[in-house]
Amino acid sequence: MRPRVLGLRASRLRANSEERTRESARSSHAEWTAREIAVSSAIDMRVSVGGLELRNPVLTASGTFASGREFADFADISRLGAIVTKGVSNEPWSGNDSPRIAETASGMLNSIGLQNPGVEVFVERDLAWLAEHAPDTPVVVNVSGHTAQEYAAVIERLESESSVAAYEINISCPNVDAGGMTFGTDCVSAAAVTRACRALTRRTLIVKLTPNVTDIADIARSVEAEGADGVSLINTLLGMAIDADRRRPMLARVVGGLSGPAIKPVALRMVWQVARAVQVPVVGMGGIMDGTDAVEFLLAGASAVAVGTANFVDPAATIRVLDGIEAYCQRQGVARVADLIGALET
Amino acid sequence: MNAAAIKPAVETVRVVSNDRVAEGVGLMVLHAPRTAGLVQPGQFVHVRVTTDSAAILRRPFSVHRTSEDRIEILYQILGTGTLQLAEKRPGDSMDAVGPLGHGWEIEPGTTHALLVAGGLGAAPLAMLAERLAERGIAVAVAHGAPTASRLVARRVFEQVARRVELATDDGSAGEKGFVTGPVARLLAEERFDVVYACGPEPMQRVVASMAHDAEIRCQVSLERLMACGVGACLSCVVSTRGGLKRACVDGPVFDGEEVIWDASQTPPKH
Repeated sequence: MRPRVLGLRASRLRANSEERTRESARSSHAEWTAREIAVSSAIDMRVSVGGLELRNPVLTASGTFASGREFADFADISRLGAIVTKGVSNEPWSGNDSPRIAETASGMLNSIGLQNPGVEVFVERDLAWLAEHAPDTPVVVNVSGHTAQEYAAVIERLESESSVAAYEINISCPNVDAGGMTFGTDCVSAAAVTRACRALTRRTLIVKLTPNVTDIADIARSVEAEGADGVSLINTLLGMAIDADRRRPMLARVVGGLSGPAIKPVALRMVWQVARAVQVPVVGMGGIMDGTDAVEFLLAGASAVAVGTANFVDPAATIRVLDGIEAYCQRQGVARVADLIGALET
Repeated sequence: MNAAAIKPAVETVRVVSNDRVAEGVGLMVLHAPRTAGLVQPGQFVHVRVTTDSAAILRRPFSVHRTSEDRIEILYQILGTGTLQLAEKRPGDSMDAVGPLGHGWEIEPGTTHALLVAGGLGAAPLAMLAERLAERGIAVAVAHGAPTASRLVARRVFEQVARRVELATDDGSAGEKGFVTGPVARLLAEERFDVVYACGPEPMQRVVASMAHDAEIRCQVSLERLMACGVGACLSCVVSTRGGLKRACVDGPVFDGEEVIWDASQTPPKH
């Protein structure tokens, strides 16, 4: 495997100098690598998402990164563009029965069911930890609810918390019976939830969309019309896996959300469609495993990207994606990563 | 060493050997100096068996034994991941995240321990038996399996334990029947400070209940399907009296009294 040291920041390079020396000694690219690093500082990685200024376009996909603490041993989370938290509801939710996951070809199904301890514990435990350990990284809280009132209650509680930078409204989780995806599959209800949340906050409001619809661009236009500052997509595709020997579903809930590299072509297509349908920025996600995948989403029209299932495969995936985007920019002579947004040539 | 002080990391591990030790069971020795130096009994490594894009998830394996710079894992070939693992050759490299999880606790003052191993559940108990014996703790083992050849840790146990009782479904070694037979006998004949169990969940449930009746603390090790292995994805939750806990970071070892046993749990197939 080629050493992945391209584009590391100088401070990290010093910290990793011993490791790098070993890598370089092994690598015939040592000289070339050093030259690339010298260029890296020139690349402007900043992007903007609905008023949220980000130091780079790499976010975490909700539900795959908890609130960052679990990954702190593996990745420097203070380097991320933003941390998008696991879904937070007003009351604690216990989630679904087990088994909750199943591996499928180039991906996985999950039916976790938005298990979370509720907004109070989230504030005391997760937000407090983030404020201490990643004070300069914007926190985007993923907001979940069974009813429009429950979404509103979470935002009302968090408005007084200064460490929250933005909200991502989850109207797209396929694993809960009420709320979740049921709001995201209909233009009228998607608009209603967005309106209820918009009325409560001036912070950046991103609405996360489900791919399990006939026309995702219609839903995107509906939430844009109600004041969403951005849209993120795609959430998981509803799917199913069966154990033929036992004649039983692999998931206790029978159906679940498909994620991972298997869904990337669908995600790219939808990001491309939505980016052409709305004026607000798009956060693209769905099967991003490396920097090149991320660049594809930017080219399709995303202003930022989120790394999801890859975090389960490689706990340092976010940083690897970030370094990979920078390396791409170096190879291609791109001075500003924002220049890649929507730069697909058709 | 305090479990909280052990920081997991991604380590490139190299296959030293990979042999079939019983029908459908492999023993892999890995060069893994960092993990070998840190891992505690009951902890696991989360192995990326393949980097091909079809099977993306890692597979968790408890550490069977350690030596200076090596770890051993015992695995049963059950699905695509373990089939690919069985095909690894000496010199092959993989990456492993570890050591992960909360292992068995050895409480101060422990002098007599009973280990109950069902099938492949013997894998992590072998390391525990060795560590207990090093501390001068008297170890008794009840080891059960479908048949004699699947008593995978028998030799290790016989080296370090004061007493080893066997049970097989077919009677090819020890007594014919479940491991709970020898467990009942050992509990009746001796005094133990602690019971450590690992194996099929129904077995562990019965053993926990027997320990409860004998008023002995029991620590069980539960297996769940797992994605991240680091506590983020909430795939591997276990119902406990303290709420839902994560097998990957709060476990896999739990206090038997704490677990709310779920009869519908089917063993993961990976």
